[in-house]
Amino acid sequence: MLTVTEVSRSFGGVYAVRDVSLSVADGEVCGVIGPNGAGKSTLFNLITGHLPAEHGQISFRGRRVDRLPPHRRARLGMSIVFQAARVFHGMTVKENVMVGAHGRTRAGFVAAALRLPRHRSDEKEIDTEATAALARVGLAKWADRPADRLPIGQQRALQLARALCARPRLLLLDEPASGLRGQERERLATLVEELRADGLTILLIEHDVAFVTRLADRIVVLDLGRVIADGPPAEVRTDPLVLAAYLGPSA
Amino acid sequence: MTARTWIVAGLAGLTLALPAVLDDSALAVYVLLGLAAMVTVGVSLLMGYAGQVSLGQGAFYAVGAYTAALLALNGVPPLVGLLAAPVVAALAALVIGTPLLRLRGHHLAFATLATQLILLSLAGQLEFTGGDIGLQGIPQFGVGSFEAGGASVYAYLTWAGLALVMLVTHNVIASRPGRALRALATSEIAAASAGIPVGRYKLVVFALSAAFAGLAGGIYCFYTGYVAPGSFPVLLSIQYIVMAVVGGLGTIWGAVAGAAAITLLVQGLDRLATLPGMPAYAPGVLSYAVYALVLIVVVLFLPRGLVPAVSGRLTGKRTKRADR
Repeated sequence: MLTVTEVSRSFGGVYAVRDVSLSVADGEVCGVIGPNGAGKSTLFNLITGHLPAEHGQISFRGRRVDRLPPHRRARLGMSIVFQAARVFHGMTVKENVMVGAHGRTRAGFVAAALRLPRHRSDEKEIDTEATAALARVGLAKWADRPADRLPIGQQRALQLARALCARPRLLLLDEPASGLRGQERERLATLVEELRADGLTILLIEHDVAFVTRLADRIVVLDLGRVIADGPPAEVRTDPLVLAAYLGPSA
Repeated sequence: MTARTWIVAGLAGLTLALPAVLDDSALAVYVLLGLAAMVTVGVSLLMGYAGQVSLGQGAFYAVGAYTAALLALNGVPPLVGLLAAPVVAALAALVIGTPLLRLRGHHLAFATLATQLILLSLAGQLEFTGGDIGLQGIPQFGVGSFEAGGASVYAYLTWAGLALVMLVTHNVIASRPGRALRALATSEIAAASAGIPVGRYKLVVFALSAAFAGLAGGIYCFYTGYVAPGSFPVLLSIQYIVMAVVGGLGTIWGAVAGAAAITLLVQGLDRLATLPGMPAYAPGVLSYAVYALVLIVVVLFLPRGLVPAVSGRLTGKRTKRADR
């Protein structure tokens, strides 16, 4: 599904990500963990296209995507849930989710202005899909509320619904558990498990090790911009390099 | 019929009835008000919905006016000239917007302002635009053998144009591209991640708002019969922003209400400033000062603008009643 080959990115001469390679197979839940400053967010932005890579290749569904802008990668089937609440203001919860379907629908300005049949059929389809996505993340009853008034946990659920409305091939989650309290976190974990059961491929970038080990089939560990371990959770958890990175060399 | 439909039907009836009862000087205000509203709807779409600032909307008004004027003076039928005005304004916006829309916020505001100043000085220098004197003797608007004689014809033309602009805006807002525009106003990164080509959409909405201004400019040139650089001062662009903000950014009716409020206010002040005994600088001072004052008062006390404040109060009452 996704293959990252020796990508690098530096800021002011310091490498944030250096020669990182990883791959995510179809239907797999891959977790990327690492201490603060390990390069997780940079790697995430390189994959989504919000940062250009200096070296290396990124392939998605058998296509080179490292030179494509973010919206083209999204149209190929990458959907993102950001860590920061990137909820669109001045729109209802449902409208926010409907935006997710943008990449796979076609009605443009002319079709909309003239209310052409294409606009009507697209609207109907997007509306149905958005309603289903909202029900799935448990936000159905908030559909007509202003999105920016939702509490932070629900804003993340809203982003997830928006991502699902795109019918993604690969779901990218950037620190989805951060800032969530016990119950919200549990609900999110259950939802990710359900999505995995549906066969969705997921790349999970997360600070919280317990959260990742519970959900991921495989874990990639980053430290100081490099991959220091890659394998099943049980293996990675006992890897001496990983322990050293998390607890310091003395442990 | 719902209350809303009644209100809209009532307003439409009033719009149609007014040209028949107004005298010529009142009709002039009525036409200018409609033209300003047309441009302001575009400003509201651009700023209020898509989050892009333009301090140079007067430039596209001017492009539309010059386009229609030049075509009409060269023997092209007025209807063709009028239809060409929004098209040429939109094309100009596409060309200008390609580099400019890489800028954001204040930078974009100043760049659009500079664009207008450059275009005005070009129009003042070039021969084919008539230099500082401008273009005169523009024929009356007409279709086939029908020629617009009185101001009431222009009033109907203007308000039909405004209705069209409002309908197009309304349809665009509540649609796939409209949601995309509103989304990129909050976060271009998140919008791109939803598959929205952010740059292209910003360019299209810039062109669409320019087309609205161009259409208004086209009608204006036939109505007044002459255009000159002096007809399109920078103050005009600022006036559209004030109208949009006063009426309520991101509302279509707000643009019309704002245009009406400011036009009538400025007309009143103009009468006041030209009363015998007022100093010669009074009109200029009063107009600039009033824009500033109105903007400050609205931003302080009605930050969302007239229309949202009023409709918010109405729905607020309704919700309270429902709660009880």
